[in-house]
Amino acid sequence: MPLDRQLLLLSTLAFLIGVVPAARALFSGHWRPSRQWIPMLIGFILQTGAVYDRGQAVGQCPMKSLSDILVFIAWSIVLLYFLVGPPYRVSLLGIFTAPLVTAMQGLAFVIPDAFPDYAAKSKIDPYVELHAALALVAYAAFALACITGVMYLLQERFLKKHHIGGLFYQLPPIQGLAKAIQKLVYLGLLLLSFSLLVSFKLNTPISNPKLIFAWAVWVLYALIGVIMWRQVLSPRQTAWLAAVGFVIPFISLWLMTTHG
Amino acid sequence: MVDVEPIQNQLVCLGLNYRTTPVEVRERVAFPESKVPEAVQEVRALPGFEESVVLSTCNRVEIYSTHTHADAQQAQGELVKYVIRRFDLAPEQAEALVTYDLHAGEAARHLFRVVSGLDSMVLGETEIFGQVKAAYQVALAAGTTSRTLNKLFQQAFSVGKKVRNETTIQRGSTSVGSVAVDLAEKVHDLKECRVMLIGAGEMSRTCAQSLLSRGAKSIIVSNRSHDRAVELATEMGGTALKFDEWEAAMHEVDVIISSTSAPHFVIKPEQIQHVMKKRRWEPLLIIDIAVPRDVDPAVNGIEGVYLYDIDALQAIADSGRKEREKQLYACEQIIESQLTKYGFVE
Repeated sequence: MPLDRQLLLLSTLAFLIGVVPAARALFSGHWRPSRQWIPMLIGFILQTGAVYDRGQAVGQCPMKSLSDILVFIAWSIVLLYFLVGPPYRVSLLGIFTAPLVTAMQGLAFVIPDAFPDYAAKSKIDPYVELHAALALVAYAAFALACITGVMYLLQERFLKKHHIGGLFYQLPPIQGLAKAIQKLVYLGLLLLSFSLLVSFKLNTPISNPKLIFAWAVWVLYALIGVIMWRQVLSPRQTAWLAAVGFVIPFISLWLMTTHG
Repeated sequence: MVDVEPIQNQLVCLGLNYRTTPVEVRERVAFPESKVPEAVQEVRALPGFEESVVLSTCNRVEIYSTHTHADAQQAQGELVKYVIRRFDLAPEQAEALVTYDLHAGEAARHLFRVVSGLDSMVLGETEIFGQVKAAYQVALAAGTTSRTLNKLFQQAFSVGKKVRNETTIQRGSTSVGSVAVDLAEKVHDLKECRVMLIGAGEMSRTCAQSLLSRGAKSIIVSNRSHDRAVELATEMGGTALKFDEWEAAMHEVDVIISSTSAPHFVIKPEQIQHVMKKRRWEPLLIIDIAVPRDVDPAVNGIEGVYLYDIDALQAIADSGRKEREKQLYACEQIIESQLTKYGFVE
C-alpha cells in the first residue's frame, strides 16, 4: 500500500478513535473537549501528510478522481473546524465533524477505481489548480454549515420540548450557532465566487458540466445567503436549508467526476 | 504505592454544619473572614497542637489540625474548649453545641467529601471547593500548616478535581434560579442578555439575581406598585418601568421573567407575535413563575420563543437533583479508592 494510503488509513482511524469514545462520553455526560481535540489533531496531521504525498505521487493537486476529491474536502473540513470551532465556541463541532470525515475517507477507499494513478501533467495550469482548490474548500465550508445546522436543530428542539439533559448542556447557545451557520455559508460563498472568477482566466478549458454544476451550487448558496441576509426565514428554517442544502454540492461532486 | 504515615493518626477535625447545628448557633460560632488568620494562629498555639486550618462558611465551621496528644479525644476536647472560649458561649449554649469529632482516616474522608461537594446542602455544588482552597491559603500564609496538612489539602484538591472530572455530580440545575440561568445560557450569550422582570415577587427576584451574577447585561423591572419596582431595580442595578409600559419594551429584552398576581394571562400569543416581528427572529426566553400562569402556553408554539412555566422549571430542577444523587455512589467509590491510595484506609 502506498505511503499516502497508509497515512490516510491511520488518519481515518484517528478520527474514528475521536468519535466513538467521545460520543459515548458525551451522551453519558462525562465528555471533555480535549478528549476529541487530540485525536482530531493527530488525524489532521496524518491527513495532511497523506494529501501532500498523494500530490507528490500524481504531480499535481490531488483533486482529479472522486476518492481524491473526498479526501481533499475531508481535509478542508478539518482545517476549517480548527479555524472556525474555537472562535465560535463550537468545540462540540468535532463530535459531529469526525463521523462525516471518517465516512468520507472510508468512502474514498471503497468506491470503485479508488485513487487511480493518473499521469502527472506535463504543464500545470495554476489557475485550474486554484479554481479547484478554492471550490473544494468552499464545499468544506458548506459541509461545516450543514453540521452546525444539525447542531442548531437539535438544540432548538431540546429547548422547545423542554428536553434538558446530557447533550443540551454540551451544545452551544442557539444564537451563537445561528451566527456560525450564517458566517460559514458566507465564507463558502465567497470562496466559491473566487473559484468561479478564476475559471474565467483558465488557459486549459474545463468541461462544461463541471462549470455548470459549480454555478448551480453557487446559485443555491447565493440564494440561501440572500435569505439569511434579508432574514426572510427564521434561524430554524435557515438551519434546515444549510443542513439539507449540502446534499446538492455532495451530489454535484459525484456528477463532476463521472462527467470528466 | 503511597507510604502510610503514622503521623496521619494525629490528624483531627472538629466541625459543625447545617445538619448538626441550627443557623442561630452556626452564626454564633462562625469566624468572620478577617478573623480567620488570627484563629488559625490561636489553634496552633493551643498546648499539644502543631498545625491548623479553619474553614468557616455559612453552612459549616471546621477546624483541621494535627496534635501530639496521647489520644484524639483529648485533642478534640481541647478544640471544643477553644470554641467555647473563643465565642464566649454561655454554659447552656456550650451544652447545645453539637459537633462532629473525626480523626485520622475519618477526618481525611470528611475533607475529601466536603471538597467534592458531597457534604454540601446543594449536592455537588462547586463553590465549596474554592472556599476550602481559600481557607487553606489563609493558613498557609499564616504559617500554620506543615507537612501533614499541606499534603492532606493537596490530596483533597486532587480528589475534588477527580470527582468532578470523572462524574457528573456538578452537572444540571438543582434550583429554579439555576435552571433559569442554564436556559438563558443556551439561548443567548449571557453577557449580551437583557432581562425584564414583570412583577417583583421573591422567586423572580432570585432568578434575576442568578442571571445577573452570571453576567447578564442589564435588567428592567416593572411592577404594579412602581415604588416596589424602583426599589428592586435599584437593588439590582437596573431600571424601573411603569406597569403600563412593559409591553412596549418587550422587544428590547432577551429574557422575560413574569410573576404577576393577575388571575388571567397577561402575555398572549398576539403580543409575542408582534414582538418577534420587531426582534427580527432574535430568540426570546420567557420564564413564567406565576400561579395562576401569566403567559398563555400557546406562546411556546411561536417560532423563536421558548416558554417555561414553574412546573417545567421545577421538573428540570428535580431531574437535576436526581441525576446528582445517582452519581453519589460513583463519587464515594472514587473517594474510597483515593483514601486507600493515600494510605488513610487499608
